[in-house]
Amino acid sequence: MGGGFRVLHLVRPFLAFLPEVQSADRKVPFREKVIYTVISLFIFLVCSQLPLYGIHSTTGADPFYWMRVILASNRGTVMELGITPIVTSGLVMQLLAGSKIIEVDNNVREDRALLNGAQKLLGILIAIGEAVAYVLSGMYGPVGQLGVGNAILIILQLFFAGIIVICLDELLQKGYGLGSGISLFIATNICESIIWKAFSPTTINTGRGAEFEGAVIALFHMLITKSNKVAALRQAFYRQNLPNVTNLLATVLIFLIVIYFQGFRVVLPVRSKNARGQQGSYPIKLFYTSNMPIILQSALVSNLYFISQLLYRKFSGNFFVNLLGQWKESEYSGQSIPVSGLAYLITAPASFSDMAAHPFHALFYIVFMLTACALFSKTWIEVSGSSARDVAKQLKEQQMVMPGHRESNLQKELNRYIPTAAAFGGVCIGALTVLADFMGAIGSGTGILLAVTIIYQYFETFEKEKASELGFFGF
Amino acid sequence: MDAIDSVVDPLRDFAKDSIRLVKRCHKPDRKEFTKVAVRTAIGFVVMGFVGFFVKLIFIPINNIIVGAT
Repeated sequence: MGGGFRVLHLVRPFLAFLPEVQSADRKVPFREKVIYTVISLFIFLVCSQLPLYGIHSTTGADPFYWMRVILASNRGTVMELGITPIVTSGLVMQLLAGSKIIEVDNNVREDRALLNGAQKLLGILIAIGEAVAYVLSGMYGPVGQLGVGNAILIILQLFFAGIIVICLDELLQKGYGLGSGISLFIATNICESIIWKAFSPTTINTGRGAEFEGAVIALFHMLITKSNKVAALRQAFYRQNLPNVTNLLATVLIFLIVIYFQGFRVVLPVRSKNARGQQGSYPIKLFYTSNMPIILQSALVSNLYFISQLLYRKFSGNFFVNLLGQWKESEYSGQSIPVSGLAYLITAPASFSDMAAHPFHALFYIVFMLTACALFSKTWIEVSGSSARDVAKQLKEQQMVMPGHRESNLQKELNRYIPTAAAFGGVCIGALTVLADFMGAIGSGTGILLAVTIIYQYFETFEKEKASELGFFGF
Repeated sequence: MDAIDSVVDPLRDFAKDSIRLVKRCHKPDRKEFTKVAVRTAIGFVVMGFVGFFVKLIFIPINNIIVGAT
Protein backbone atom coordinates (compact mmCIF):
# COMPACT_ATOMS: atom_id res chain seq x y z
CA MET A 1 0.00 0.00 0.00
CA GLY A 2 2.80 2.32 -1.18
CA GLY A 3 2.92 6.02 -0.65
CA GLY A 4 -0.02 6.85 -2.85
CA PHE A 5 -2.66 9.16 -1.47
CA ARG A 6 -6.02 7.46 -1.35
CA VAL A 7 -9.36 9.19 -1.53
CA LEU A 8 -10.95 6.74 0.88
CA HIS A 9 -8.66 7.85 3.66
CA LEU A 10 -10.49 11.17 3.70
CA VAL A 11 -13.34 9.30 5.35
CA ARG A 12 -11.32 7.96 8.25
CA PRO A 13 -11.76 10.94 10.62
CA PHE A 14 -15.54 10.71 10.26
CA LEU A 15 -15.86 7.02 11.05
CA ALA A 16 -16.04 7.65 14.78
CA PHE A 17 -19.12 9.85 14.41
CA LEU A 18 -21.17 7.65 12.06
CA PRO A 19 -23.93 5.58 13.63
CA GLU A 20 -23.11 1.93 13.13
CA VAL A 21 -24.84 -1.38 13.61
CA GLN A 22 -22.60 -3.97 15.19
CA SER A 23 -22.01 -7.01 13.02
CA ALA A 24 -23.78 -10.12 14.17
CA ASP A 25 -21.22 -12.00 16.27
CA ARG A 26 -23.07 -15.26 16.02
CA LYS A 27 -25.25 -16.94 13.45
CA VAL A 28 -28.68 -15.42 13.84
CA PRO A 29 -31.41 -18.08 13.79
CA PHE A 30 -33.84 -17.93 10.91
CA ARG A 31 -36.81 -17.05 13.08
CA GLU A 32 -34.94 -14.12 14.62
CA LYS A 33 -34.08 -12.87 11.15
CA VAL A 34 -37.74 -12.90 10.22
CA ILE A 35 -38.59 -10.97 13.37
CA TYR A 36 -35.93 -8.34 12.74
CA THR A 37 -37.11 -8.00 9.15
CA VAL A 38 -40.75 -7.57 10.16
CA ILE A 39 -39.91 -5.06 12.88
CA SER A 40 -37.81 -3.01 10.45
CA LEU A 41 -40.65 -3.07 7.96
CA PHE A 42 -43.13 -1.84 10.56
CA ILE A 43 -40.87 1.00 11.61
CA PHE A 44 -40.58 2.03 7.99
CA LEU A 45 -44.33 1.78 7.36
CA VAL A 46 -45.22 3.78 10.45
CA CYS A 47 -42.76 6.50 9.44
CA SER A 48 -44.39 6.50 6.02
CA GLN A 49 -47.70 7.44 7.61
CA LEU A 50 -46.59 9.92 10.28
CA PRO A 51 -47.30 13.48 9.14
CA LEU A 52 -44.51 16.02 9.39
CA TYR A 53 -44.96 18.50 12.22
CA GLY A 54 -44.82 22.14 11.31
CA ILE A 55 -45.62 22.01 7.62
CA HIS A 56 -47.95 24.66 6.33
CA SER A 57 -49.42 22.76 3.40
CA THR A 58 -48.75 20.04 0.86
CA THR A 59 -51.16 21.29 -1.76
CA GLY A 60 -50.01 22.10 -5.25
CA ALA A 61 -48.16 20.06 -7.82
CA ASP A 62 -45.75 17.49 -6.48
CA PRO A 63 -42.53 17.58 -8.52
CA PHE A 64 -41.51 14.17 -7.19
CA TYR A 65 -44.80 12.48 -8.08
CA TRP A 66 -43.13 10.45 -10.81
CA MET A 67 -40.49 8.76 -8.74
CA ARG A 68 -42.15 8.19 -5.40
CA VAL A 69 -43.08 4.64 -6.24
CA ILE A 70 -39.53 3.44 -6.78
CA LEU A 71 -38.08 5.44 -3.93
CA ALA A 72 -40.56 4.37 -1.25
CA SER A 73 -41.39 7.99 -0.56
CA ASN A 74 -44.65 9.42 0.80
CA ARG A 75 -45.67 13.05 0.43
CA GLY A 76 -45.99 15.14 3.57
CA THR A 77 -44.78 12.43 5.93
CA VAL A 78 -41.65 11.83 7.96
CA MET A 79 -40.60 9.43 5.19
CA GLU A 80 -40.71 12.12 2.53
CA LEU A 81 -37.15 11.37 1.47
CA GLY A 82 -37.86 7.65 1.41
CA ILE A 83 -34.80 5.65 0.50
CA THR A 84 -33.43 8.35 -1.79
CA PRO A 85 -30.38 9.19 0.34
CA ILE A 86 -29.26 5.59 0.73
CA VAL A 87 -29.97 4.56 -2.87
CA THR A 88 -28.27 7.63 -4.29
CA SER A 89 -25.18 7.23 -2.13
CA GLY A 90 -25.07 3.51 -2.95
CA LEU A 91 -25.22 4.15 -6.68
CA VAL A 92 -22.64 6.91 -6.50
CA MET A 93 -20.18 4.81 -4.51
CA GLN A 94 -20.77 1.86 -6.82
CA LEU A 95 -20.01 4.00 -9.86
CA LEU A 96 -16.93 5.53 -8.27
CA ALA A 97 -15.51 2.19 -7.16
CA GLY A 98 -16.50 0.38 -10.35
CA SER A 99 -14.93 3.00 -12.59
CA LYS A 100 -11.78 3.05 -10.44
CA ILE A 101 -12.11 6.71 -9.51
CA ILE A 102 -11.87 5.44 -5.97
CA GLU A 103 -9.38 2.66 -5.37
CA VAL A 104 -10.86 -0.12 -3.29
CA ASP A 105 -9.21 -3.41 -2.55
CA ASN A 106 -11.96 -5.66 -1.28
CA ASN A 107 -9.39 -7.98 0.24
CA VAL A 108 -8.31 -5.30 2.68
CA ARG A 109 -10.58 -5.09 5.71
CA GLU A 110 -9.92 -1.41 6.25
CA ASP A 111 -10.87 -0.56 2.67
CA ARG A 112 -14.23 -2.21 3.05
CA ALA A 113 -14.87 -0.38 6.31
CA LEU A 114 -13.86 2.94 4.76
CA LEU A 115 -16.06 2.32 1.73
CA ASN A 116 -19.04 1.58 3.94
CA GLY A 117 -18.29 4.64 6.02
CA ALA A 118 -18.02 6.80 2.92
CA GLN A 119 -21.33 5.52 1.62
CA LYS A 120 -23.04 6.18 4.93
CA LEU A 121 -21.53 9.64 5.25
CA LEU A 122 -22.64 10.48 1.72
CA GLY A 123 -26.14 9.21 2.51
CA ILE A 124 -26.33 11.47 5.55
CA LEU A 125 -25.10 14.48 3.58
CA ILE A 126 -27.64 13.79 0.85
CA ALA A 127 -30.41 13.53 3.44
CA ILE A 128 -29.47 16.93 4.86
CA GLY A 129 -29.14 18.47 1.41
CA GLU A 130 -32.48 17.14 0.23
CA ALA A 131 -34.26 18.18 3.42
CA VAL A 132 -32.96 21.73 3.05
CA ALA A 133 -33.86 21.79 -0.64
CA TYR A 134 -37.40 20.61 0.12
CA VAL A 135 -37.98 23.36 2.66
CA LEU A 136 -36.37 26.18 0.68
CA SER A 137 -38.18 25.25 -2.52
CA GLY A 138 -41.50 25.87 -0.80
CA MET A 139 -42.69 22.27 -0.83
CA TYR A 140 -44.37 22.80 2.54
CA GLY A 141 -45.52 26.34 1.95
CA PRO A 142 -43.50 29.54 1.58
CA VAL A 143 -40.58 29.80 3.99
CA GLY A 144 -41.88 33.17 5.14
CA GLN A 145 -45.06 31.57 6.41
CA LEU A 146 -43.33 28.56 7.94
CA GLY A 147 -41.01 30.61 10.09
CA VAL A 148 -37.41 29.72 10.84
CA GLY A 149 -38.29 27.49 13.78
CA ASN A 150 -40.66 25.27 11.84
CA ALA A 151 -38.30 25.14 8.88
CA ILE A 152 -35.51 23.85 11.08
CA LEU A 153 -37.88 21.38 12.74
CA ILE A 154 -38.90 19.98 9.36
CA ILE A 155 -35.29 19.62 8.25
CA LEU A 156 -34.42 17.81 11.48
CA GLN A 157 -37.37 15.42 11.10
CA LEU A 158 -36.39 14.53 7.55
CA PHE A 159 -32.74 14.18 8.55
CA PHE A 160 -33.48 11.77 11.39
CA ALA A 161 -35.82 9.77 9.19
CA GLY A 162 -32.93 9.45 6.74
CA ILE A 163 -30.71 8.18 9.56
CA ILE A 164 -33.37 5.66 10.56
CA VAL A 165 -33.61 4.26 7.04
CA ILE A 166 -29.82 4.01 6.77
CA CYS A 167 -29.61 2.16 10.09
CA LEU A 168 -32.52 -0.16 9.29
CA ASP A 169 -30.95 -1.15 5.99
CA GLU A 170 -27.59 -1.71 7.67
CA LEU A 171 -29.25 -3.84 10.34
CA LEU A 172 -30.72 -6.13 7.72
CA GLN A 173 -27.53 -6.18 5.64
CA LYS A 174 -25.32 -7.04 8.61
CA GLY A 175 -26.91 -10.45 8.92
CA TYR A 176 -29.81 -9.71 11.24
CA GLY A 177 -32.40 -9.83 8.48
CA LEU A 178 -33.24 -11.37 5.15
CA GLY A 179 -31.83 -9.56 2.16
CA SER A 180 -31.60 -5.81 1.83
CA GLY A 181 -33.74 -3.21 3.51
CA ILE A 182 -33.92 -1.09 0.39
CA SER A 183 -35.53 -3.87 -1.61
CA LEU A 184 -37.93 -4.67 1.21
CA PHE A 185 -39.12 -1.08 1.52
CA ILE A 186 -39.54 -0.59 -2.23
CA ALA A 187 -41.46 -3.82 -2.68
CA THR A 188 -43.74 -3.19 0.27
CA ASN A 189 -44.47 0.34 -0.87
CA ILE A 190 -45.46 -0.92 -4.31
CA CYS A 191 -47.51 -3.85 -3.02
CA GLU A 192 -49.30 -1.54 -0.60
CA SER A 193 -50.04 0.87 -3.43
CA ILE A 194 -51.56 -1.88 -5.56
CA ILE A 195 -53.59 -3.42 -2.72
CA TRP A 196 -54.78 0.04 -1.72
CA LYS A 197 -55.99 0.77 -5.23
CA ALA A 198 -57.83 -2.54 -5.23
CA PHE A 199 -59.44 -2.34 -1.78
CA SER A 200 -59.35 1.29 -0.71
CA PRO A 201 -62.44 2.31 1.31
CA THR A 202 -61.96 6.03 0.69
CA THR A 203 -64.40 7.81 -1.59
CA ILE A 204 -63.57 10.26 -4.34
CA ASN A 205 -65.94 12.42 -6.36
CA THR A 206 -65.09 12.60 -10.06
CA GLY A 207 -68.35 13.96 -11.38
CA ARG A 208 -70.39 10.76 -11.16
CA GLY A 209 -71.08 11.23 -7.48
CA ALA A 210 -68.92 9.77 -4.74
CA GLU A 211 -67.21 6.53 -5.70
CA PHE A 212 -64.98 4.16 -3.80
CA GLU A 213 -61.35 4.43 -4.82
CA GLY A 214 -60.70 0.70 -4.55
CA ALA A 215 -61.51 -1.21 -7.75
CA VAL A 216 -62.83 -4.33 -6.03
CA ILE A 217 -64.84 -2.42 -3.45
CA ALA A 218 -66.32 -0.28 -6.20
CA LEU A 219 -67.23 -3.36 -8.22
CA PHE A 220 -69.24 -4.92 -5.42
CA HIS A 221 -70.74 -1.62 -4.37
CA MET A 222 -71.97 -0.89 -7.89
CA LEU A 223 -73.40 -4.37 -8.35
CA ILE A 224 -75.29 -4.07 -5.10
CA THR A 225 -76.59 -0.52 -5.42
CA LYS A 226 -77.30 -0.15 -9.13
CA SER A 227 -80.46 -1.55 -10.65
CA ASN A 228 -78.88 -1.94 -14.08
CA LYS A 229 -76.34 -4.72 -13.48
CA VAL A 230 -74.86 -4.64 -16.98
CA ALA A 231 -74.17 -0.92 -16.80
CA ALA A 232 -72.73 -1.41 -13.32
CA LEU A 233 -70.34 -4.06 -14.60
CA ARG A 234 -69.25 -1.93 -17.53
CA GLN A 235 -68.69 0.98 -15.19
CA ALA A 236 -66.64 -1.09 -12.75
CA PHE A 237 -64.50 -2.53 -15.52
CA TYR A 238 -63.87 0.61 -17.53
CA ARG A 239 -64.36 3.70 -15.40
CA GLN A 240 -61.95 6.55 -16.05
CA ASN A 241 -59.58 8.35 -13.69
CA LEU A 242 -59.89 5.81 -10.91
CA PRO A 243 -58.59 2.25 -10.58
CA ASN A 244 -60.88 -0.20 -12.33
CA VAL A 245 -61.13 -3.97 -12.62
CA THR A 246 -59.44 -4.07 -16.02
CA ASN A 247 -56.42 -2.37 -14.47
CA LEU A 248 -56.41 -5.04 -11.79
CA LEU A 249 -56.55 -7.88 -14.32
CA ALA A 250 -53.74 -6.29 -16.32
CA THR A 251 -51.66 -6.14 -13.16
CA VAL A 252 -52.19 -9.84 -12.53
CA LEU A 253 -51.26 -10.68 -16.12
CA ILE A 254 -47.99 -8.73 -15.96
CA PHE A 255 -47.27 -10.40 -12.63
CA LEU A 256 -47.57 -13.86 -14.18
CA ILE A 257 -45.50 -12.96 -17.25
CA VAL A 258 -42.66 -11.61 -15.13
CA ILE A 259 -42.61 -14.73 -12.98
CA TYR A 260 -42.43 -16.93 -16.06
CA PHE A 261 -39.46 -15.05 -17.50
CA GLN A 262 -37.75 -15.09 -14.13
CA GLY A 263 -37.37 -18.82 -14.56
CA PHE A 264 -35.33 -18.55 -17.77
CA ARG A 265 -31.68 -19.35 -17.22
CA VAL A 266 -28.66 -20.94 -18.85
CA VAL A 267 -27.15 -23.47 -16.47
CA LEU A 268 -23.39 -23.87 -16.91
CA PRO A 269 -21.85 -26.94 -15.26
CA VAL A 270 -18.90 -26.23 -13.00
CA ARG A 271 -16.67 -28.56 -11.02
CA SER A 272 -14.36 -28.02 -8.10
CA LYS A 273 -10.70 -28.82 -8.64
CA ASN A 274 -10.56 -29.94 -5.02
CA ALA A 275 -12.98 -31.87 -2.88
CA ARG A 276 -12.99 -34.89 -5.21
CA GLY A 277 -14.49 -33.08 -8.17
CA GLN A 278 -17.61 -31.83 -6.44
CA GLN A 279 -20.16 -31.00 -9.12
CA GLY A 280 -22.20 -27.82 -9.24
CA SER A 281 -23.73 -25.33 -11.62
CA TYR A 282 -23.58 -21.64 -12.29
CA PRO A 283 -26.91 -20.28 -13.56
CA ILE A 284 -26.97 -17.22 -15.81
CA LYS A 285 -30.45 -15.76 -15.71
CA LEU A 286 -32.15 -14.07 -18.61
CA PHE A 287 -32.82 -11.22 -16.18
CA TYR A 288 -29.12 -11.12 -15.40
CA THR A 289 -29.14 -7.65 -13.89
CA SER A 290 -32.58 -8.21 -12.34
CA ASN A 291 -34.47 -4.95 -11.93
CA MET A 292 -31.43 -2.69 -12.12
CA PRO A 293 -32.10 -1.43 -15.70
CA ILE A 294 -35.59 -0.30 -14.75
CA ILE A 295 -34.35 1.44 -11.62
CA LEU A 296 -31.68 3.31 -13.55
CA GLN A 297 -34.03 4.17 -16.40
CA SER A 298 -36.66 5.42 -13.96
CA ALA A 299 -34.09 7.46 -12.09
CA LEU A 300 -32.94 9.03 -15.36
CA VAL A 301 -36.49 9.87 -16.43
CA SER A 302 -37.46 11.17 -13.00
CA ASN A 303 -34.48 13.49 -12.82
CA LEU A 304 -35.19 14.76 -16.31
CA TYR A 305 -38.80 15.43 -15.27
CA PHE A 306 -37.68 17.25 -12.17
CA ILE A 307 -35.23 19.47 -14.02
CA SER A 308 -37.73 20.12 -16.80
CA GLN A 309 -40.49 21.12 -14.38
CA LEU A 310 -38.16 23.37 -12.43
CA LEU A 311 -36.99 25.15 -15.57
CA TYR A 312 -40.47 25.38 -17.05
CA ARG A 313 -41.82 26.96 -13.90
CA LYS A 314 -39.25 29.75 -14.07
CA PHE A 315 -38.42 30.13 -17.77
CA SER A 316 -41.51 28.91 -19.58
CA GLY A 317 -40.92 31.27 -22.49
CA ASN A 318 -37.50 29.91 -23.37
CA PHE A 319 -37.26 27.83 -26.56
CA PHE A 320 -34.88 25.22 -25.18
CA VAL A 321 -36.82 24.88 -21.94
CA ASN A 322 -39.97 24.25 -23.96
CA LEU A 323 -38.06 21.76 -26.08
CA LEU A 324 -37.14 19.88 -22.92
CA GLY A 325 -40.76 19.76 -21.80
CA GLN A 326 -43.91 21.76 -21.29
CA TRP A 327 -46.18 20.99 -18.36
CA LYS A 328 -49.82 21.37 -17.48
CA GLU A 329 -51.68 20.50 -14.32
CA SER A 330 -54.02 17.55 -14.61
CA GLU A 331 -57.56 18.51 -13.67
CA TYR A 332 -58.11 15.30 -11.73
CA SER A 333 -55.01 14.41 -9.75
CA GLY A 334 -53.57 17.89 -9.40
CA GLN A 335 -50.24 16.59 -10.67
CA SER A 336 -48.28 18.20 -13.46
CA ILE A 337 -48.17 16.18 -16.64
CA PRO A 338 -45.90 16.77 -19.64
CA VAL A 339 -47.77 17.89 -22.75
CA SER A 340 -44.95 18.42 -25.23
CA GLY A 341 -41.20 18.32 -25.67
CA LEU A 342 -38.72 15.60 -24.75
CA ALA A 343 -40.36 14.99 -21.37
CA TYR A 344 -43.62 14.21 -23.16
CA LEU A 345 -41.98 11.88 -25.67
CA ILE A 346 -40.48 9.69 -22.95
CA THR A 347 -43.75 9.50 -21.03
CA ALA A 348 -45.86 6.39 -21.47
CA PRO A 349 -48.94 6.99 -23.63
CA ALA A 350 -52.00 6.89 -21.42
CA SER A 351 -53.67 4.03 -23.29
CA PHE A 352 -53.79 2.04 -26.50
CA SER A 353 -56.15 4.55 -28.05
CA ASP A 354 -53.78 7.35 -27.09
CA MET A 355 -50.98 5.37 -28.73
CA ALA A 356 -52.95 5.03 -31.96
CA ALA A 357 -53.70 8.75 -31.94
CA HIS A 358 -50.01 9.70 -31.55
CA PRO A 359 -47.96 7.00 -33.30
CA PHE A 360 -44.68 8.92 -33.31
CA HIS A 361 -44.87 9.47 -29.55
CA ALA A 362 -45.60 5.78 -29.00
CA LEU A 363 -42.76 4.66 -31.26
CA PHE A 364 -40.26 7.06 -29.71
CA TYR A 365 -41.25 5.96 -26.22
CA ILE A 366 -40.90 2.25 -27.02
CA VAL A 367 -37.51 2.63 -28.70
CA PHE A 368 -36.28 4.82 -25.85
CA MET A 369 -37.43 2.32 -23.21
CA LEU A 370 -35.89 -0.73 -24.85
CA THR A 371 -32.63 1.00 -25.74
CA ALA A 372 -32.19 2.66 -22.36
CA CYS A 373 -32.84 -0.58 -20.47
CA ALA A 374 -30.47 -2.57 -22.68
CA LEU A 375 -27.67 -0.01 -22.38
CA PHE A 376 -28.09 0.44 -18.64
CA SER A 377 -28.09 -3.32 -18.18
CA LYS A 378 -24.96 -3.79 -20.27
CA THR A 379 -23.20 -0.97 -18.45
CA TRP A 380 -24.29 -2.17 -15.02
CA ILE A 381 -22.55 -5.54 -15.27
CA GLU A 382 -19.24 -3.76 -15.79
CA VAL A 383 -19.83 -1.29 -12.97
CA SER A 384 -21.19 -3.78 -10.46
CA GLY A 385 -18.47 -6.37 -10.93
CA SER A 386 -20.63 -9.06 -12.53
CA SER A 387 -19.14 -9.05 -16.02
CA ALA A 388 -17.72 -12.19 -17.62
CA ARG A 389 -14.23 -11.19 -16.51
CA ASP A 390 -15.32 -10.67 -12.90
CA VAL A 391 -17.26 -13.93 -12.76
CA ALA A 392 -14.35 -15.86 -14.26
CA LYS A 393 -12.08 -14.35 -11.63
CA GLN A 394 -14.47 -15.34 -8.84
CA LEU A 395 -14.77 -18.91 -10.06
CA LYS A 396 -11.01 -19.17 -10.34
CA GLU A 397 -10.58 -17.95 -6.78
CA GLN A 398 -13.03 -20.61 -5.69
CA GLN A 399 -11.01 -23.23 -7.59
CA MET A 400 -13.88 -23.96 -9.92
CA VAL A 401 -13.44 -25.09 -13.52
CA MET A 402 -15.84 -25.83 -16.34
CA PRO A 403 -15.69 -29.44 -17.54
CA GLY A 404 -14.49 -29.68 -21.11
CA HIS A 405 -12.86 -26.25 -21.08
CA ARG A 406 -9.35 -25.20 -20.20
CA GLU A 407 -9.11 -22.70 -17.40
CA SER A 408 -8.03 -19.93 -19.73
CA ASN A 409 -11.21 -20.44 -21.77
CA LEU A 410 -13.55 -19.91 -18.84
CA GLN A 411 -13.93 -16.20 -19.43
CA LYS A 412 -14.42 -16.74 -23.15
CA GLU A 413 -17.25 -19.19 -22.49
CA LEU A 414 -18.91 -16.83 -20.02
CA ASN A 415 -18.56 -14.03 -22.55
CA ARG A 416 -20.84 -15.94 -24.90
CA TYR A 417 -23.72 -15.63 -22.46
CA ILE A 418 -23.35 -12.88 -19.90
CA PRO A 419 -23.27 -9.75 -22.11
CA THR A 420 -26.14 -11.07 -24.21
CA ALA A 421 -28.17 -12.03 -21.16
CA ALA A 422 -27.60 -8.58 -19.69
CA ALA A 423 -28.56 -6.66 -22.81
CA PHE A 424 -31.43 -8.88 -23.92
CA GLY A 425 -32.67 -9.17 -20.36
CA GLY A 426 -32.69 -5.38 -20.22
CA VAL A 427 -34.71 -5.25 -23.43
CA CYS A 428 -37.23 -7.73 -22.01
CA ILE A 429 -37.54 -5.68 -18.83
CA GLY A 430 -38.16 -2.56 -20.89
CA ALA A 431 -40.71 -4.35 -23.06
CA LEU A 432 -42.60 -5.65 -20.05
CA THR A 433 -42.70 -2.17 -18.55
CA VAL A 434 -44.06 -0.74 -21.79
CA LEU A 435 -46.65 -3.51 -22.01
CA ALA A 436 -47.75 -2.95 -18.42
CA ASP A 437 -48.12 0.79 -18.88
CA PHE A 438 -50.11 0.40 -22.10
CA MET A 439 -52.45 -2.07 -20.46
CA GLY A 440 -53.01 0.35 -17.59
CA ALA A 441 -51.70 -1.97 -14.90
CA ILE A 442 -52.01 -0.54 -11.40
CA GLY A 443 -48.82 0.74 -9.89
CA SER A 444 -47.11 1.30 -13.26
CA GLY A 445 -45.02 -1.18 -15.17
CA THR A 446 -41.92 -0.06 -13.34
CA GLY A 447 -43.50 -0.72 -9.97
CA ILE A 448 -44.81 -4.17 -10.79
CA LEU A 449 -41.51 -5.30 -12.24
CA LEU A 450 -39.66 -4.02 -9.20
CA ALA A 451 -42.04 -5.65 -6.76
CA VAL A 452 -42.09 -9.03 -8.48
CA THR A 453 -38.33 -9.25 -8.98
CA ILE A 454 -37.73 -8.19 -5.38
CA ILE A 455 -40.20 -10.71 -3.97
CA TYR A 456 -38.70 -13.37 -6.22
CA GLN A 457 -35.28 -12.60 -4.73
CA TYR A 458 -36.74 -12.82 -1.25
CA PHE A 459 -38.20 -16.18 -2.18
CA GLU A 460 -34.75 -17.39 -3.22
CA THR A 461 -33.12 -15.98 -0.07
CA PHE A 462 -35.85 -17.57 2.00
CA GLU A 463 -35.18 -20.98 0.45
CA LYS A 464 -31.44 -20.70 1.05
CA GLU A 465 -31.89 -19.65 4.65
CA LYS A 466 -34.29 -22.47 5.36
CA ALA A 467 -31.98 -24.97 3.70
CA SER A 468 -28.97 -23.88 5.74
CA GLU A 469 -31.08 -23.78 8.89
CA LEU A 470 -32.29 -27.35 8.41
CA GLY A 471 -28.77 -28.38 7.54
CA PHE A 472 -27.61 -26.79 10.77
CA PHE A 473 -30.17 -28.69 12.81
CA GLY A 474 -29.47 -31.86 10.94
CA PHE A 475 -25.79 -31.62 11.74
CA MET B 1 -25.24 1.91 -47.23
CA ASP B 2 -22.19 1.79 -44.99
CA ALA B 3 -23.98 3.94 -42.44
CA ILE B 4 -27.00 1.66 -42.47
CA ASP B 5 -24.82 -1.44 -42.31
CA SER B 6 -22.98 -0.09 -39.29
CA VAL B 7 -26.32 0.08 -37.50
CA VAL B 8 -27.97 -3.04 -38.90
CA ASP B 9 -25.07 -5.47 -38.48
CA PRO B 10 -24.70 -5.06 -34.70
CA LEU B 11 -28.47 -5.31 -34.33
CA ARG B 12 -28.56 -8.48 -36.40
CA ASP B 13 -25.72 -9.97 -34.36
CA PHE B 14 -27.49 -8.99 -31.17
CA ALA B 15 -30.73 -10.58 -32.37
CA LYS B 16 -28.91 -13.79 -33.30
CA ASP B 17 -27.13 -13.92 -29.94
CA SER B 18 -30.40 -13.29 -28.14
CA ILE B 19 -32.20 -16.05 -30.01
CA ARG B 20 -29.39 -18.49 -29.28
CA LEU B 21 -29.50 -17.49 -25.62
CA VAL B 22 -33.24 -18.05 -25.37
CA LYS B 23 -33.01 -21.45 -27.05
CA ARG B 24 -30.21 -22.45 -24.70
CA CYS B 25 -32.23 -21.29 -21.67
CA HIS B 26 -33.81 -23.74 -19.30
CA LYS B 27 -37.43 -22.70 -19.13
CA PRO B 28 -39.75 -23.32 -16.19
CA ASP B 29 -42.33 -26.07 -16.63
CA ARG B 30 -45.92 -25.81 -15.42
CA LYS B 31 -45.22 -27.25 -11.99
CA GLU B 32 -42.22 -25.02 -11.37
CA PHE B 33 -44.05 -21.95 -12.65
CA THR B 34 -47.11 -22.62 -10.50
CA LYS B 35 -45.00 -23.09 -7.40
CA VAL B 36 -43.10 -19.85 -7.88
CA ALA B 37 -46.23 -17.94 -8.89
CA VAL B 38 -48.13 -19.03 -5.80
CA ARG B 39 -45.28 -18.21 -3.44
CA THR B 40 -44.60 -14.86 -5.02
CA ALA B 41 -48.29 -14.03 -4.98
CA ILE B 42 -48.44 -14.87 -1.28
CA GLY B 43 -45.44 -12.65 -0.62
CA PHE B 44 -47.02 -9.91 -2.68
CA VAL B 45 -50.34 -10.08 -0.85
CA VAL B 46 -48.77 -10.31 2.61
CA MET B 47 -46.55 -7.30 1.99
CA GLY B 48 -49.39 -5.41 0.38
CA PHE B 49 -51.86 -5.99 3.18
CA VAL B 50 -49.32 -5.22 5.89
CA GLY B 51 -48.84 -1.83 4.29
CA PHE B 52 -52.56 -1.53 3.61
CA PHE B 53 -53.56 -2.06 7.23
CA VAL B 54 -50.88 0.25 8.60
CA LYS B 55 -52.22 2.92 6.27
CA LEU B 56 -55.82 2.15 7.22
CA ILE B 57 -55.02 2.41 10.92
CA PHE B 58 -53.14 5.65 10.49
CA ILE B 59 -55.91 7.50 8.65
CA PRO B 60 -57.93 8.15 11.82
CA ILE B 61 -54.75 8.59 13.88
CA ASN B 62 -53.51 11.20 11.45
CA ASN B 63 -56.84 12.97 11.49
CA ILE B 64 -56.53 13.26 15.25
CA ILE B 65 -52.90 14.41 15.09
CA VAL B 66 -53.43 16.95 12.33
CA GLY B 67 -56.72 18.08 13.80
CA ALA B 68 -55.02 18.80 17.11
CA THR B 69 -52.29 20.89 15.45
